[in-house]
Amino acid sequence: MAMFSQNPLVNGPNYSISDMPRVNAPEGAREHRFDPYTDNGGSTLAIAGADFTVMAGDTRLTSGYSINSRHHPKLFKIGGTTADQKDATIVLSVVGFAADGEALKERLDAICKMYRYRHGKPMSVKACAQRLSTILYQKRFFPYYAYAILGGLDEEGKGAVYSYDPVGSYEREQCRAGGAAASLIMPFLDNQVNFKNQYIPHSGEGHALLERERRPLARHEVETLVKDAFDGAVERHIEVGDGLQMMIITKEGIEEVLLPLKKD
Amino acid sequence: MTSIGTGYDLANSIFSPDGRNFQVEYAVKAVENGGTSIGIRCKDGVVLAVEKIVTSKLLKPNANKRIATVDRHLGVVYSGMIPDGRHFIDRARDEARAWRDTFKTPISTADLASRMGGYMQAYTLYQSVRPFGITAIIGGFDSTDEPRVDGEVGTGPSCGAGGKVAGKTHGGPFLYMIEPSGLYWGYYGAATGKGRQAAKAELEKLDLGGPGGPSLTLEEAVKEAARIIYVAHDDSKDKEFELEMTWISGPDGPTKGLHQEVPKALREEAERLAKKAQEDDEDDEEEDVEGKEKMEE
Amino acid sequence: MDHRPQAWGRPRDDVYGAYDASYLQTSGPKTATQSPVVTGTSVIAIKFRDGVVMAADNLASYGSLARFTDVKRLRPFLSTSVVGFGGDVSDMQFLDRHLTELAIDESYEHEHSENPAKSQLNAANLHKYLSKLMYRRRNDFDPLWNQILVAGFDSSSKPFLASVDLRGTTFTSPSLASGFGAMLAQPIMRRYAATEEDAARLSREEAVNVVKECMKVLFYRDARSLDRYSIAVVTKDGVELSEDEQLEKQSWAFAERIRGYGTQTV
Repeated sequence: MAMFSQNPLVNGPNYSISDMPRVNAPEGAREHRFDPYTDNGGSTLAIAGADFTVMAGDTRLTSGYSINSRHHPKLFKIGGTTADQKDATIVLSVVGFAADGEALKERLDAICKMYRYRHGKPMSVKACAQRLSTILYQKRFFPYYAYAILGGLDEEGKGAVYSYDPVGSYEREQCRAGGAAASLIMPFLDNQVNFKNQYIPHSGEGHALLERERRPLARHEVETLVKDAFDGAVERHIEVGDGLQMMIITKEGIEEVLLPLKKD
Repeated sequence: MTSIGTGYDLANSIFSPDGRNFQVEYAVKAVENGGTSIGIRCKDGVVLAVEKIVTSKLLKPNANKRIATVDRHLGVVYSGMIPDGRHFIDRARDEARAWRDTFKTPISTADLASRMGGYMQAYTLYQSVRPFGITAIIGGFDSTDEPRVDGEVGTGPSCGAGGKVAGKTHGGPFLYMIEPSGLYWGYYGAATGKGRQAAKAELEKLDLGGPGGPSLTLEEAVKEAARIIYVAHDDSKDKEFELEMTWISGPDGPTKGLHQEVPKALREEAERLAKKAQEDDEDDEEEDVEGKEKMEE
Repeated sequence: MDHRPQAWGRPRDDVYGAYDASYLQTSGPKTATQSPVVTGTSVIAIKFRDGVVMAADNLASYGSLARFTDVKRLRPFLSTSVVGFGGDVSDMQFLDRHLTELAIDESYEHEHSENPAKSQLNAANLHKYLSKLMYRRRNDFDPLWNQILVAGFDSSSKPFLASVDLRGTTFTSPSLASGFGAMLAQPIMRRYAATEEDAARLSREEAVNVVKECMKVLFYRDARSLDRYSIAVVTKDGVELSEDEQLEKQSWAFAERIRGYGTQTV
C-alpha cells in the first residue's frame, strides 16, 4: 500500500496529499466516501549518542496545501507522573496522521504511567519499545497511520532509538528519520552518522579502500547535524518548516529546545 | 393512634375501613420531623430556602447542599428523609432529560410537578414499596421568550403560518409542592417540615396572590425567606442551623433564567436582617412583660 | 378481497402483486453518514489580549442552494466558551443537544464544589472532550461531518482557541479558520497575529475589526456564504454573542475589473 510507504507515490504528486477526491470508479463515476486518514506532513529525526539521545521534529501541521498550525509539537515525553511530565525518561515522536499520533501517544503514556504506579519505577526503553509495537499491531487491520520513533537511555545508560512502521515492526537503530522528509534526511544521516560511503584516502588499491571507522558523535555534533538536516528538508519539502523542536535525553533528564525554521 | 393494632397500617396497598392509607400518614410524620423548607413565588422569580439543622460539629459548614438543580431553570428543596429526597432528585433529573430528548425543549415546572407527582403516587400503591418520606417543593422559571428548542438553527417565520402571535406571553415563575401521597398543588408560597405552621402563617402575611399578581420582588422575597426560616426555627429544641437559599429569575433578572444559589453577600445581608427582626420582636415581648408587671404593682 | 384489518390501506396484492420485501433491506451493512447534506461554510476566530473573537455566517447550504438563511452556527457553552461549527448542520444540531446535556450534567456537580467557576469545564476541557468524541466517531466509520472551533480560556486563564475536525485531528494557533476561510481569511488574520505574542498585543477592537474584514472577504469570494453573520467575543466576563450582524461597507467595484471567466475573454 502506497499509504504506508515512506517514499513518494510513483504516479502521484511528490508531496503527500491524500484527501483529494479520487476518481477510481468505472465510467468516471465519482464516489465520495469517508476516508478516515489524512497526512498531516512534517518530519521527525532521532540520533542515539554514547550517553544521550537527541529527538527532533518540526512543528508544522498541514493538510493539503494549507498550514493548519505553525506550532504543533510532534515530540512527547512519556510516562511522567505529573501533568508537565517533568520526571519522564522516554520521548516518543509521531508523524503521519496527527489524530492517530495523538491517540497513540495518549495510550502509550497511560500504559507507562500504570507501569510506574504498579512497579514503583519508570519503564525501561526496551520494555516500552516492545509495548509500543504491541499497541500498533493490535490495530493491524485499522492501523494507526503514524510513524513512531521512541528514544531514551538503555539499561547501560547508552542512547537508544527504536523506530517503527505503522503496524508495529520495529528495530533499535543508531539513527532514524521519519515522515514527509524522511527520504531526504535519511541518506544524509547514513553518511554523517554511520559514515556510509566515507573511505580513508590512500588506504588501498583502486576502489578497495578501507571504510572510515565509526565513532560515537559528541552531543554538539549531533545537535548541529539535526539543525542542518532540518534546514535542508525545509528547503526541499513544502510540508516541513516553521519550528524545530528538539529533546535531548541524558541521565540528568530531558532538555527541550525550540528553534526557528523557515516559515515559507 | 387509631391505626395501632388494627393491622391496616402494615402494608401500603391496604386501606383502613374509614378510607385511610396509614403508611402515607406515617410518611407525613417523617416529613414533620425534618428541617423547614419553604418556597416563595414572587413577581420576577422564585426563592427556595431550607433550614439545615447542624447535627454535628464535624460537618463542614456550607457543604452538603440540600437544594438541588434539576434542569437549568428548575430547583427542588425537600423536608423529611434526605436519602428519599436524593432519589427524588435523581428521578426528577431523569424526567427533565427524557423530556428534552423527546421534545427538544426544557420541561415546564408544571410538567415536572405532574411527572414527579405521578412517581410519588406510585409508591403508595404496592406492597413491595413504602411511600417517600419527603414533601418536595419544586420551583422553576419557564422561559418567557419562545421556548428554546435544543439544536434549533433559526428563529422561524416572523409572521403567517408558524409565525408569532403578537402580544402573547409565555412562562413565568412557578411553584409546586408534592406530598408523600403524590398530591401536588401549585402555590403562591409553600412551606413544609418542622416549622411549617409558623412559616405558613408568615407566608400568608406576604402579598403573593392578588388579582394583579404578586408585588413582592425577588430581592424582597430572599429577605422574607430568610426571616421566615429564622421565625420557624425552634430555638429550644435544635440549637444551630444553617440557611441555604437558591433563586430563579427571568432572563432579565439576576440569574438569567437559571436556578442558582443566592450570592453569599445577599444571603448574609438577609440573615443579618432576619436576626435583627427576631431581636426586635424579643425586645417587644420583654417590654410587654415588663408592662404587665408594672400593672400588677 | 382481503378483509383482514392487516391489509387495510395497503396496495392490493391482486392488483399490484405481493410487496417486494427485499427493498426493506433487512440485511447488509449499516450505512452511516458518508457525506454531508446541509452544510455551513467557514468559521473564523482570532485570539486577542483578553480573549477570543469568533464569527460564522448564518447560511446553511444544500449543495449550491442557499437553503436556510437564519442558521446560528456559534453556540455558547456554560457562558464561558464558544463553539463554532462548519460542515453538516444536522451533525451540528446533534452536537449542540449533546453539549446542552453535558452542560446540565456538569451543573449538578457544581453544587457540591467550593469554587464553581474553577471546577467548571473550561474551553480546553471542552475541546478535549469534543476531540475524543470526534475521533471515536471516525474510528466507528460514522463521522460527525464538522470542523469545529472552540474558543474560551484554558486552566491557567489564558485565551484558548483550538480546532477539531471530522477525523479527530486537533490543532491550535493564534488564529484559526475552517473551510474556505483557511485559504482566504487565515492569511489576513496571520498578518495581525502571526504568533501568540502578536495576538497578546491585539486589542479587542482590533481583533473584532480583523474578523469583520475577513467576513467581508469571505462574502466576496466564497459562493456559499451570506452577508448576515454571527460574531462572538469571549472574555473573562463571559460570552457576548450577537447573531444577526449585517456586513457593512461592502464595495463591489472590484467586480467590474475581473476578467477571464466564462464567456468574458477580454
